[in-house]
Amino acid sequence: MSTPSSAAEPLLRVEDLRVEFPTEDGVVHAVDGVSYEVQRGRTLGIVGESGSGKTVSSLTTLGLTRTQGARISGRILFDGKDLVALSESELRTIRGNEIAMIFQDPLSSLHPFFKVGAQLIEAVRVHQDVSKGAARKRAIELLGLVGIPDPNRRVDEYPHEFSGGMRQRAMIAMALSNEPQLLIADEPTTALDVTVQAQILALLERLQQELGMAIVMITHDLGVVAEMADDIAVMYAGRIVENASAETLFAGPEHPYTWGLLKSIPTLTGSRAQPLVPISGSPPSLINPPPGCHFHPRCPYSQPDHARIDPQLRPLPDAPSHQVACLLEPSVRKRLWDELGEGKTPEQARADVGLPAPAEALASAADPVGDAPEVGL
Amino acid sequence: MTRYIIRRLLWGVVLLVLVLALLFVIFRILPTADPAKLRAGRIQNPKIIAEIRHDLGLDKSLPAQFWIYIKGIFLHFNLGYSYYSNAPVKELIFNRLPATLSLVLGGAVIWLFTGLSIGIISARRAGSKLDRASMGTALVLVSAPEFWLGLLVLFFFASDIGKVHIFPGAGSYVGLTTAPDKWFTSLIMPWVVVAAGTAAIYARLLRGSLIETMGEDYIRTARAKGLSERRVVLRHGLRSAINPIVTVLGIDIAVLLGSSVLVETVFDIPGIGRLNYVAITHSDFPIVQGTVLFAAMFVILANIIVDIAYAYLDPRVRYS
Amino acid sequence: MRALRTILLTVLAAAAMTALAACGSSSSSSSSSSGTASSGSSGLPAGVKNPVDESLTGGKHGGVLNDVQSEDFEHLDPGQAYFQLDYQITNSTQRALYSYKPNTFSQTTPDLAEGEPKLSDGNKLITINIRKGVHFSPPVNREVTAADVEYAIDRVANPNVANPYYLGYLEAVEGMKSSKGGQIPGVKATGKYTLQIKLTEPSAPIVVASMVLPYSAPVPKEYAAKFDAKKPSEYANYQVASGPYMLKNNSAGKILGIGYQPGKSATLVRNPNWKASTDFRPAYLNQINIAIGGDANVIGRQVLEGSDMVQSDAPAAPIVKLAVQQHPSQLTISAGGGAGTRYIAINNSYGPFKNVNLRKALWAATDREELDRLRGGKTVADVMTHFLWNGIAGFEESGGFTGPKVDYNEHPQGDMAVAEKYMKLAGYPSGKYTGSETLQVVGDSSAPANNVAEAVNSTLEKLGFKTKLNLVEHTVMYSKYCGVVSEKIDVCPNVGWIADFGDPQAVLDVPFNGNLIVQNGTNSNWGLVNHPKINAAMEAASKVVGVKARGEAWAKIDEELVNEAVAVPYQWAKEPYIESKDVEGINDYWNSGTFDYSFTSLK
Repeated sequence: MSTPSSAAEPLLRVEDLRVEFPTEDGVVHAVDGVSYEVQRGRTLGIVGESGSGKTVSSLTTLGLTRTQGARISGRILFDGKDLVALSESELRTIRGNEIAMIFQDPLSSLHPFFKVGAQLIEAVRVHQDVSKGAARKRAIELLGLVGIPDPNRRVDEYPHEFSGGMRQRAMIAMALSNEPQLLIADEPTTALDVTVQAQILALLERLQQELGMAIVMITHDLGVVAEMADDIAVMYAGRIVENASAETLFAGPEHPYTWGLLKSIPTLTGSRAQPLVPISGSPPSLINPPPGCHFHPRCPYSQPDHARIDPQLRPLPDAPSHQVACLLEPSVRKRLWDELGEGKTPEQARADVGLPAPAEALASAADPVGDAPEVGL
Repeated sequence: MTRYIIRRLLWGVVLLVLVLALLFVIFRILPTADPAKLRAGRIQNPKIIAEIRHDLGLDKSLPAQFWIYIKGIFLHFNLGYSYYSNAPVKELIFNRLPATLSLVLGGAVIWLFTGLSIGIISARRAGSKLDRASMGTALVLVSAPEFWLGLLVLFFFASDIGKVHIFPGAGSYVGLTTAPDKWFTSLIMPWVVVAAGTAAIYARLLRGSLIETMGEDYIRTARAKGLSERRVVLRHGLRSAINPIVTVLGIDIAVLLGSSVLVETVFDIPGIGRLNYVAITHSDFPIVQGTVLFAAMFVILANIIVDIAYAYLDPRVRYS
Repeated sequence: MRALRTILLTVLAAAAMTALAACGSSSSSSSSSSGTASSGSSGLPAGVKNPVDESLTGGKHGGVLNDVQSEDFEHLDPGQAYFQLDYQITNSTQRALYSYKPNTFSQTTPDLAEGEPKLSDGNKLITINIRKGVHFSPPVNREVTAADVEYAIDRVANPNVANPYYLGYLEAVEGMKSSKGGQIPGVKATGKYTLQIKLTEPSAPIVVASMVLPYSAPVPKEYAAKFDAKKPSEYANYQVASGPYMLKNNSAGKILGIGYQPGKSATLVRNPNWKASTDFRPAYLNQINIAIGGDANVIGRQVLEGSDMVQSDAPAAPIVKLAVQQHPSQLTISAGGGAGTRYIAINNSYGPFKNVNLRKALWAATDREELDRLRGGKTVADVMTHFLWNGIAGFEESGGFTGPKVDYNEHPQGDMAVAEKYMKLAGYPSGKYTGSETLQVVGDSSAPANNVAEAVNSTLEKLGFKTKLNLVEHTVMYSKYCGVVSEKIDVCPNVGWIADFGDPQAVLDVPFNGNLIVQNGTNSNWGLVNHPKINAAMEAASKVVGVKARGEAWAKIDEELVNEAVAVPYQWAKEPYIESKDVEGINDYWNSGTFDYSFTSLK
């Protein structure tokens, strides 16, 4: 979906969502003002490292962070209803029904003491007034749908008797019980073998086509969403730092963090020869996030004023559907990405473009005259 | 599974024999009184002591005594005779068993019900005033001696010596088959006292276990399905959190069946615990051996049942 | 493995309980130990009853008495019974040849016997006529004859019965000593109602005196022989009664599980074949239900606040206090009589205390009032000043309550000056003991006895002795240490004695007669007292006939025992008993003050 701003009312619109968890050490700002949209039948990929807030934002969509004492503000409009404002019982009629979710580890996400069939039957019967027998038939049908062989027998087995991929298929079957309009898939393939990963992704794609549901795919791995997602939102430290159609994003990523993500995946087109470069450093504290741009401590290109100025997510002047939150000049970013595309290391690229190294930059930051100009995007 | 159970049972029998051997040795090494001398009274005459020893079969060697005893058990299920009343130990035990079973099983129902209820409520409201109050009370109850608690409730609520006359007091126990209503009312206070400490332990145990379980991924899945919180907690959470309780429940019941002497004494309930205790004070070895044999048997059986229950509760567990 | 661990714990717990239990079992004073009693003239709290003053007539007939007792019976076979709770049953179900009325301990009453025994052949032949018209309870039903008493005495020597005391009192019966069971040649029913007992020595007085013990109650041979053939005898569980009451039984005579459930209950019902005209017992009650077990603090309150109840073992100390303060009329304190004594046994045969002056020094130094206070004070103790006691013939002659006028006895609070005098006489001019050996002191580990032991130990230290105090459980103290010659124990502060029957010989002979000491075995002569002059005097006194004469003879022996300071006496015990307000409890002075079912009635 290359035109996210189409006139059609989106299935899901998240507006300025904030989720905070008060803890003994302070307030964790897990989601810090996030907005995105998902259109009917389309796929949004939310990408980020663990702790970036991508999972919390989707759990909040289902109201699942409420029980953990989260403070939630903003709006989550699903089919015209604000999920943040709904009561717990109203939300329950939506959970597992109109919106379903699957999780990272299918083994721990299935109840170990109940038969797979029983868990499916339960999922069916929460929202549909059908007999146990009918629900069981539906469960078998669902298992068949997700490609589990011999579903008549498998329905009476326990999760531990399934292989990893089969378990995730069972989770998907459970999520599909009530033909949801939206499926949130939280790292659905992370715990699986690479070959199985591809199978699961193919399954999701097939099901999306057959059932016409929208998917929010949450992952730390851009490769996973590369082929599936229509749109991609990159999250860092509770915020979206870049948001664009998949096509645009892979063609011209704007945010240094996105670059880092792209560099750290082995399967990106044309870059297989390049060594895997993980992003150095670790995700920031969400209780006391770094001042200014939250990414600046890890950013190879950060400049002194980046520690003071908090960048906003703004559309690119030449591509309004492509939004980014970065303090570097667009032209500088363009040159850096080109350098990286040629296989340069971030240090080389920085030097070539003529940016001072973060250490030097810090030194010059001490100079009161070196006040950086407001960066307009 | 059947083979596993059979193997466990056989091992249990071996264990019982070892327990008996250990008892035989302990009671002859520890400085307890010589039953023959006890019976020979104040004017100790070697001839009379010898006669009594012969009467009681104590003149034979220790291995010979043990062999006769074991043979009696395995060939005739004969546990010997009391040195005092000459009553068959087997009869005494079976005569006392209903009272102890009534006390312990009824108590178990109460402690399970209250312990689990409080545990669930506390876990769901961890950190609340209610949680702190119930866990504080639990701590007090765990440390309260049963004997003292028994006296306390008697002096407050017994219909004969209480401040308010509500429940039948000490010595009011009758058998279930004799008068079910009296059986029930006479056991209310003993049940509460037996259950108090254990209920408190279970509440704490379940609270911890449930809080841990509620953080599991499959609980999140259950919620994501749209299940009511009640169903999430009671079906999905409790189903897992209950496992450690099942383990201790089996052993607790088994151990209590052999050692509920304090409650039995305070409420004057003629059970196994008191039988054993009195026998010990009188060096009535056959009864001590019989009751310990039963207690050990309960523990062994409880372990096997717990293991089987485990396999039933947790489908991932399989024995071979 | 989990199971193994749990079981080991269970076994260890059982073992630990043994140790604990032993500590708490001091009250089962059946055989070895003490007793309690106090002297009739010693002061009782206001309103409290004294068994010797109770009226034995005028009770109301009928009703059911509920008796509660923490402890179980030991042996209910009349040939084996040797414990005050057992006597409570045998006294109402079995008619011995002679018995005590509830308020006496020196005057016997012919019971199954028709009258006083005839002694002849220089006290070597006893002839007793038994009462006509006494019948056994069902299922035997027939009239009691002299042959039944003959069998009863025969069976005490039957190894399957193993009567605990027969060699102590009946040794002189012809053929008794060598019997291996079967008929005793010296015991013969010479007629349907006449029994003759031949002795090898002129000791008829002690043999007759012992006939108050339940062994002399009739046992029907044709019925009992098959039970006595069992090893051990099963007659206890099938016994028939000759007294006003019987343990409830079935038509086969079985009692176990019917009239007696060990550790649980016992039921006495009327013996339908008993005739009031043949007995001095009024037998007012229709039935006695005995509940066994329970905590003394609980059952004590139940008795005080309930109705139709008595407690037949000693109430807990708080209950006694409560009764004294709020229910004095429901409290009976039995002082003297069948209750017993406590004294410090000191080794007369070995170690420093062979020296009489050291023994006197310890006597003088001991604060006996303090020891009694530790045991519960004046409600349960009178300071003991010599060895006979109130209610026993010879008590007044040997000094009454104040005791002999010797300086080491005149200061019940202890007097170090007098003690010093005797230390010097013993050869320790500093007034302190200067020998190097360490005294072995063995006491009872359970309260309050352990406190007494500590107090005695510190008195010994004050006198300069080095000591090693070893506190063990009650039964261990008696069976492994005190009275065992080879253990060479110097001091046993917690020993006591109750008399088997109300004869001064039963008080003094066993604990202090050196001729009875066995070298390998346990003795009840805990101080190994062995003074030839006293031994000989006892031998002579045992042959004296008549209550008064025997009292005088044994009073002289008592004086000798004091002169030799063979032990340090400190407590004449008193025994409290409680009853509900609507119970007219009659207590047996001869049996430590326990309730007499045949005299007690409901108001």
